[in-house]
Amino acid sequence: MIDRILLKKYIGQSILLFASCGLALFAFAWVRVWVVSLLDMGQFQTILEQFREFEKFAPIEFDSLFTYPGRVGMTYDEPIVILCIVIWCISRGSDVVSGELGRGTLEMVLAQPISRARLLLSHATVSVVGLALLCMLVWAGIGAGVQTTSVKETVPPPTIRIPIIEFDFPLTMGEPEMQTLQLSDRVDVRIFAASTFHLFAFGFFLLGLSTLLSSIDRYRWRTIGVTVAIYIFQLVMLGLGKAAESLQFLLSMTFFSCYKPQKMTSMVTKDTLYTPWTLTHTVGDTMLPPLVYPLILIGFGLAFYAAAIVCFKRRDLPAPL
Amino acid sequence: MNPIKNPIAPCADDLRSTKLAQDPELAGDVVLRCEGLGKRYGDFDALSDCSINVGAGDIFGLLGPNGAGKTTLIRLLLGYLHPTHGRATVLGIDAEDDSVAVRRQVAYLPGDARLPRHMRGDGVLKFFAEMHPYGDLQRSREVAEQLELDLKTRVAFMSTGMRQKLALAVVLGPQTPLLILDEPTANLDPTVRTAVLQLVLDARDNGRTVILSSHVLSEIEDTCNRVAFLRRGRLAHEMWMSDLFQRHRMTALTREASIEIPDSLKGSVHVRTRASTHAHHQIQIDTAGDLGPILKWIDSLALKQIRFEPYGLRTVYEAVHAGEPVATALITDAPVAENFSQANSGARS
Repeated sequence: MIDRILLKKYIGQSILLFASCGLALFAFAWVRVWVVSLLDMGQFQTILEQFREFEKFAPIEFDSLFTYPGRVGMTYDEPIVILCIVIWCISRGSDVVSGELGRGTLEMVLAQPISRARLLLSHATVSVVGLALLCMLVWAGIGAGVQTTSVKETVPPPTIRIPIIEFDFPLTMGEPEMQTLQLSDRVDVRIFAASTFHLFAFGFFLLGLSTLLSSIDRYRWRTIGVTVAIYIFQLVMLGLGKAAESLQFLLSMTFFSCYKPQKMTSMVTKDTLYTPWTLTHTVGDTMLPPLVYPLILIGFGLAFYAAAIVCFKRRDLPAPL
Repeated sequence: MNPIKNPIAPCADDLRSTKLAQDPELAGDVVLRCEGLGKRYGDFDALSDCSINVGAGDIFGLLGPNGAGKTTLIRLLLGYLHPTHGRATVLGIDAEDDSVAVRRQVAYLPGDARLPRHMRGDGVLKFFAEMHPYGDLQRSREVAEQLELDLKTRVAFMSTGMRQKLALAVVLGPQTPLLILDEPTANLDPTVRTAVLQLVLDARDNGRTVILSSHVLSEIEDTCNRVAFLRRGRLAHEMWMSDLFQRHRMTALTREASIEIPDSLKGSVHVRTRASTHAHHQIQIDTAGDLGPILKWIDSLALKQIRFEPYGLRTVYEAVHAGEPVATALITDAPVAENFSQANSGARS
């Protein structure tokens, strides 16, 4: 099903892109966690409170963000993370057929005794493993950040409760005591496993989509253009669906609705590490069991790949221009 | 498993040495067989009703102007295109049903061979040698050395000619039973062209069958033993190169409006007369076979301004290109011609 020699070729072709995206994601995730430590929780809360009326546009309720896990978990919705994943997925997916056709190299590769399905699956293997590694690098960056970052917290002064009026009276009148502690004492990195899986599922969907479009096209620029157009269209649907109640039906028509990394972090924080992995119970205000969402994205991705194989096998391959 | 392990080895030389065996059908060792093969794009027939047989040990030339259907035919054989009608088999394997098995038996050089730009020359040779079961890295390196190619250079920094040499080294490495070359000498200097043509002849001598598509008629003349002409997506003409060696065209002026051909020469002479301005008629006599008896007859005609020229491939090409009939039926002195005529009529039926 997969060709070892082709794997080597595709790894060679994509190694630079992978290294760039991987480095960017790892470093960004690390720095992002460090930035969390720079902004005091109280200040962060004050800033966020000013945007309360826009809470409906946020992936989760603001109150969930007033915790260290919540703030670190926001990394998965950061534009840079999304951008790097989208760049990897669209560039690799669009390359497989229309990219090679455009460069004219498909002719020589397919002159060898190799089936089209084998070629596509070999390419998919490198792309999917690359995507998985990139997602792991985000997680690893967060892990590194959490392990190396320390935060300062105000130690609540000892108080005595006055009966009848139920008032906590401080026993000291001096400056509140500050204590420094490791972020790892407040954040367990394992809680981001589900979020990482969501990021992978999100990328897999895009990878499948761009591969399908590539398999029916002969120009890579057009494949990229159409994929980006679909992406933006879906993003606009998400925005409109959240903005207006009358347009809420759009939320069920965009794949962004299935990308809920922060929701998963919030679930784990409130419940157990295994909560996001259930396929049988709904949790909180989600309509479906948590694991169904990434599986929908992966299911679509697989369907796109299957369609891509069928289209690629059936089509006539034009001579290089 | 290879359906035919070495289809050409048994008696390639014998096949070439006997005219009877020059018909692949009669020889019974057909490497490529096309039956009514065609490809249609909407209203446009890129290739129509093409029936060709290529025998083991042939160097089969494909000729035709741009857009004639040569590349379409090759791409149909290798499974890049799905035929609209007809079928093709390579070494008995159906090209549509199992194109992977077909490509296992074939080394193919595309007309515009482009290679992965991020690799170095040697990396490219290694990659393709590993990809093909008949791949032979050492042999590819030898070909590259023969063509004076620096394998340390990255493909991205190679000139067009260097890339063509590299592609040739890739394709001439694997010792496949069938070798298909589409414009192999494009972008090459005359010295390298000669080397490439020699490599093609070497491939034939090693028992391989070669299909060679080219616009350079002299290359076809120098290397091929059979030629097919394609025109507007149709197989317009097919011939043995050996036929050309016995063919001549004579032009002259005569006072006679028509010339009668003796019964003994009717099969080997074709005459066309055209009125000229000075009470003379221009006569064109195409001859096939031994010139001895024909010259005696010509001598008796009292012709003026006689000019003889060998009936070259260019003449045939131009006749085919102009849509004029090419009198292959002229040749009656050899079984080849009969067989070939049969093959032609079979192809067009």
